[in-house]
Amino acid sequence: MELLYYPGCTLKTSAVNLEESAFAVAEALGHSMIEMEEWNCCGVSASLTEDDLMHHLAPLRNLVHAEDQGMDRIVTLCDMCSNTLKQTDYRVREREDDLKTLNDFMDQENDYRMTVSVQHFLEFLRDDVGWKTLKKKVVNPLKGVRIMPYYGCMLLRPREVAIDDAEEPRIMADLIKALGAEVVDNPYKIECCGSYKTIEEKEMTSRRAKTISTYAVERDADLIMLSCPLCKYNIDQRGKEAELLFDGYSQIPVMYYTQLLAIALGLEGDWGFGAHAVDPTPLLEEKGVLPISEGST
Amino acid sequence: MTAENKVGAVLVVGGGIAGMQSSLDLANSGFKVYLLDSSPGIGGTMAQLDKTFPTNDCSMCIMAPKLVDVGRHPNIELITYSEVESVEGEAGDFKVKIRKKARYVDVEKCTGCGVCAKECPIDAVSVFNEGLSERRAIYLMYPQAVPLAFAIDREKCIGCGLCENLCLADAIVYDDKDELSEINVGSIILCPGFEEFDSDQKGEYGHGRFPNVVSSIEFERILSASGPYKSHVLRASDGKQPKKIAWVQCVGSRDLGCGADYCSSVCCTYAIKEAVIAKEHVPSIEPTIFFMDMRTFGKGFESYYNRAKDEYGVRFLRCRISEIKEDPETHDLTIQYETEDGQLIEEEFDMAVLSVGFTSKEDSRDLAGRMGIDLNERGFCQTQEECPVETSRDGVFVCGAFSGPKDIPETVMEASGAAAKASGLISEARNTMVERKALPPELDVTGVGPRIGVFICHCGINIGGYVDVPGLVDYARGLPGVVYAEDNLYTCSQDTQKRFVETIQENHLNRVIVASCTPRTHEPLFQATIREAGLNAHLFEMANIRDQCSWVHMDDRSTATEKARDLVRMAIAKASIIEPLPMVELDITQSALVVGGGLSGMISALAIAEQGYPVDLIEAQSELGGVMRRIHHSSEGMDVQGFLRDTIGKVDSNPLITVHSNSQIIDIDGYIGNYRTTVEQDSDQIEIEHGVVIVATGAVESKPEEYLFGEDERVVTQLDLEGMMAEGADLSGKTIAMIQCVGSREEHRPYCSRVCCTDAVKNALAIKEAHPDANVYVLYRDMRTYGFKETLYERARAEGVIFIRYSLDRKPTVAKGKDGLVVGTRDHILDMDLEIEADLVVLAPAIIPQPGNADIGKLLKVPLNEDGFFLEAHVKLRPVDFSTEGVFLAGMAHSPKFIGEAIAQAYAAASRACTIISSDKFETEATVSSVNEALCSGCGLCAAACPYLAIELVDGKAVVTTALCKGCGVCAATCRSGAVQQKGFKDEQILSLIKGALCEVL
Amino acid sequence: MATETEGGCQDSADKHIVVSGKLIDELEGLCEEDVFGCYQCGTCAAGCPFMDEMDLTVDEVLRYVILDKKEVLESKTIWLCASCFACAERCPRDINITKIMEALRQIVLRQNIDETDLECLTDEEKRSIPQMAFVSLFRKNIG
Repeated sequence: MELLYYPGCTLKTSAVNLEESAFAVAEALGHSMIEMEEWNCCGVSASLTEDDLMHHLAPLRNLVHAEDQGMDRIVTLCDMCSNTLKQTDYRVREREDDLKTLNDFMDQENDYRMTVSVQHFLEFLRDDVGWKTLKKKVVNPLKGVRIMPYYGCMLLRPREVAIDDAEEPRIMADLIKALGAEVVDNPYKIECCGSYKTIEEKEMTSRRAKTISTYAVERDADLIMLSCPLCKYNIDQRGKEAELLFDGYSQIPVMYYTQLLAIALGLEGDWGFGAHAVDPTPLLEEKGVLPISEGST
Repeated sequence: MTAENKVGAVLVVGGGIAGMQSSLDLANSGFKVYLLDSSPGIGGTMAQLDKTFPTNDCSMCIMAPKLVDVGRHPNIELITYSEVESVEGEAGDFKVKIRKKARYVDVEKCTGCGVCAKECPIDAVSVFNEGLSERRAIYLMYPQAVPLAFAIDREKCIGCGLCENLCLADAIVYDDKDELSEINVGSIILCPGFEEFDSDQKGEYGHGRFPNVVSSIEFERILSASGPYKSHVLRASDGKQPKKIAWVQCVGSRDLGCGADYCSSVCCTYAIKEAVIAKEHVPSIEPTIFFMDMRTFGKGFESYYNRAKDEYGVRFLRCRISEIKEDPETHDLTIQYETEDGQLIEEEFDMAVLSVGFTSKEDSRDLAGRMGIDLNERGFCQTQEECPVETSRDGVFVCGAFSGPKDIPETVMEASGAAAKASGLISEARNTMVERKALPPELDVTGVGPRIGVFICHCGINIGGYVDVPGLVDYARGLPGVVYAEDNLYTCSQDTQKRFVETIQENHLNRVIVASCTPRTHEPLFQATIREAGLNAHLFEMANIRDQCSWVHMDDRSTATEKARDLVRMAIAKASIIEPLPMVELDITQSALVVGGGLSGMISALAIAEQGYPVDLIEAQSELGGVMRRIHHSSEGMDVQGFLRDTIGKVDSNPLITVHSNSQIIDIDGYIGNYRTTVEQDSDQIEIEHGVVIVATGAVESKPEEYLFGEDERVVTQLDLEGMMAEGADLSGKTIAMIQCVGSREEHRPYCSRVCCTDAVKNALAIKEAHPDANVYVLYRDMRTYGFKETLYERARAEGVIFIRYSLDRKPTVAKGKDGLVVGTRDHILDMDLEIEADLVVLAPAIIPQPGNADIGKLLKVPLNEDGFFLEAHVKLRPVDFSTEGVFLAGMAHSPKFIGEAIAQAYAAASRACTIISSDKFETEATVSSVNEALCSGCGLCAAACPYLAIELVDGKAVVTTALCKGCGVCAATCRSGAVQQKGFKDEQILSLIKGALCEVL
Repeated sequence: MATETEGGCQDSADKHIVVSGKLIDELEGLCEEDVFGCYQCGTCAAGCPFMDEMDLTVDEVLRYVILDKKEVLESKTIWLCASCFACAERCPRDINITKIMEALRQIVLRQNIDETDLECLTDEEKRSIPQMAFVSLFRKNIG
């Protein structure tokens, strides 16, 4: 099927590899991701004050444009976009007065008719593709790879927009198992990575990355799997920087679930490992899920 | 609407401790009771507990006597494994349709021998053991279940037929069907109990995911000797003994995320109990309790808390936790918490116990719906403070946890209270539906040598499979005195019992011995049977060749048989010299004396009068009402003065109640059923004869000796404040500081006065309502707004009342300021000194016992506890009784309590009193002590030792008051000269047992 | 261009935050949460991933509001909060603490006081840090 795709800012720049691998995966599963004709910044982060409707405009406009294209669903790759769009959708459905105000204000746009649902790509894989189907398409199972799933906050909180049970999510664990890999369960999987604090509190974010990653290392995990471009930057990049702060600390690789999916589905391509602070290639080669390339140690 | 012709029977729905207490009170007051339970046996949640607080008594041990009493009582009909389908009719005359579920086992035939379950091939999850172990498809609810009969779980049973083949009592009924029946009763008591909060709902704690996170009820089963690990404290993940255990409080209580805005009242104390008992099992265990407020408000609970801290080393951390983390490999747990000084600590634990709160059962809510009973918004039964045991439907009463979370003593009090109301409604139908068996006259066996009959039981294969029973019969026949011996498959079965009477009469037996199981459960049964045959019940001996023989020596048949021979020989040796023991019948004066004309005294008096018996109410002051005269509104919004006026009016106008005001008790003489009290009014003395006494002398407000009380008129007590507000004091714009625990919970007075937290919150809300611009601060140590009162605390905070916690080592200070008073304290969160400029300081003084309690105690021969309140017979199961029979306790004379609680207890005291005065005769125990005056040296040791004050020195010789003697034997054991002997257990009789054991030939 | 100092960027210039009237009244318009409902249980603090870095604990922040102590607006804590919602989800009084933190920030921001200073970032960082971080930062820390 055709999926209306909302990229958001980061997917077009720092997280291009997430987009490319997701597109390849979608195609391999028989679906196509069609970018929205007209979209703007999702409006992150979601408005938290009662009197602030202004900051709902940006997300709402995206929902309107989805309706304009005659679609009833938007699929996103970015966790924060997913969360922000869903929160606005939830708000206007709960308070129709606010919807009216917003619609009236956007006099150059069509009115939002509350017909769109926002879906994160992980939800799409679980609900529309199904793990069984996915498993069947895996030609290169990630045998022996021990993966720690990491959700962060945006996928699961606040509860109204969660894509899974907020205390005991299993969507990532199910995906990992479908790919043939081993799940390293852990209590840090739903804790915050530091988010935008990475800009002004670099060391604090490094400390956070270390705490989250150390748990994985102590349990012999090979890599951390996640879905959000900011989480990935925080744990990968800031985690690498933590090596300077803590003697003897070594950051383990961090990968997007779509990259792992692409590999497991046997797809050819460059999944942008060069953009990682810790290159996962050596590990993947060692585990035998990637063919050893020439010139690598 | 009440029926014209009342039916003299009551339906009690729910066989837990509440149902059992109600049933016994009613059955002992002349009413027929139908006791219904949806489980295969009665006992409820209390059967699942290991120990009970604050005495650490074994739950089953204190409950079992009630279980047995209920099971045997001729006026109680047990209807187990059944449901109520519908209730029609009106108060006094209800028609109730009952569905008895198919049990597939005939309760009348099943002897509980257990052979079926041993061989049943199917395993199922044990609900009684909270899913921690398995049981068979055919199962007994728990080892001491009443009725002691199995049931088949139809869903698990595969119909293999094995149990049917094995059952020698022919009790299996494979084609059993549900049975519908109808009963006719005058009142109904609802006590279906509660359900624990399902902690799977609180995902962040990991219950259901992490094997080492258990709920508190699961932990009770773990601690219990009859539980899944046979009382070894073990971790489910690896079977290892845990060292560090964390208790997490308020799981499913005080938590809007779980939809529970109330407090479950008992969890603080039960967590302390579990921690203490766990440590007793394994001294190396290190318990930690994470809590918000420590709500140990009940009688004896605060000292229990102190002992846990000081003697047992239980660590108490005042903070709630966010989540429990688990290491998926070791299953060890990590908990992060904030200390009181703002540090974040991460700590590892081996196990965590979630202190789950109470909710009502869905089935109970459905039943209430079908019966038209109102529920409150939390799903519990709706009640009114004026009568906490009444439901919204006339004639239907409620008690126990179905009307709100509460502990066992409160439950037992409500249960007796409900019995009082239920029987008060139908009092004119007393004795119309109870059986009084006509017994033949007792045979006179004096001068006739012993003609002993021996009955040896196979108990299916429980005994017969390990002991040579036929051989035993032959052996017994050859012993001196034995003229008859037989073996039975099941001596206790109904058909054998029928033949018993014939056998005794045909063979002219005058002593009967049964060699079978335990006298604990079966002695009264056999005694009743031989009485029917015309023999005195005490011409009977039992030899326990099952629990004490065949069950212990299953692997050694010859030794087991030899031991059984010894046991039988012992019984025969004693049987030769046992004597018939008469039961003395005493007359009872069917009236009551109530000491104290406050709320509790008046309610008791009215309740007894409702039953049709006269009451003399003694009040020291000129007016009735006691402390209640100073209270205007209760925490539940009752118009207290209006209710008081009504109650006084009812008392004054009741023809059966005689009020003696301005009166003092000079002397009380006599004993149960036969009291003579001298009362002095002004300067006249009168004598009153009565059967029972209810002590309702109340308590008083102490006078604080700190915080400038008495020195500055702006420092007042909460009762003063209530008076001020009733007179319309203007507090707008004023700052009021309330200080809690003034004189309570301190070294010189360690108990908690229970009501003050709620009282302060109630008054704070009243101030805010009348003067929204007033500033109110409450300085507390723990906020003890338990149960549904938690919502008052919630409302007070929402209205802007500020709560500041202080600790005992840093009490607030009150000093005179420039204009007002300055109250100094320290904010517990910010660790910052605060000064409050207060216009008014309100203290919550301790509630202390009446100074006259000691004198009343001496007159009535009833004791006081270490705090000066009256000491009841048993803290948990006999909260309104004294050890001395015939005297009962109600109200604040027992301990500080709320108006609703006092009313429930007053009804309870009335109910208990009526179990005595509802009949005109009273039968004493037969196995009482007797004194041989010739040997008595008047040393008085027996009198000092007797717990029932039943033996005392009169003119230098010990004299037994048979009416009070319970046959415990302590006096006989204390007597050095052998002057005191206990009938049925005389020295020579005990010695004969020993001789019988040691000598092969008698 | 400011050089990077240890521990991150330099703090913004001295703030001069003015709040007339009660803090709780200012908050009410912004976040309709029952701050007084808090019974100081400590769940929020126990679950906050950044507690170690904060000067005031989360429950202390609420207590400052309840006691009307305006110094809370000068704390580091309200700016270290990453709006991860862990506290809000777990609070047994159902108080959305995330919104309270936001409201406290807004009181400062709406007085035209910004809490961010980007001059300490290198060009390389400005290129490599994901855009979403910048957008969120500006949304949260600029009035």
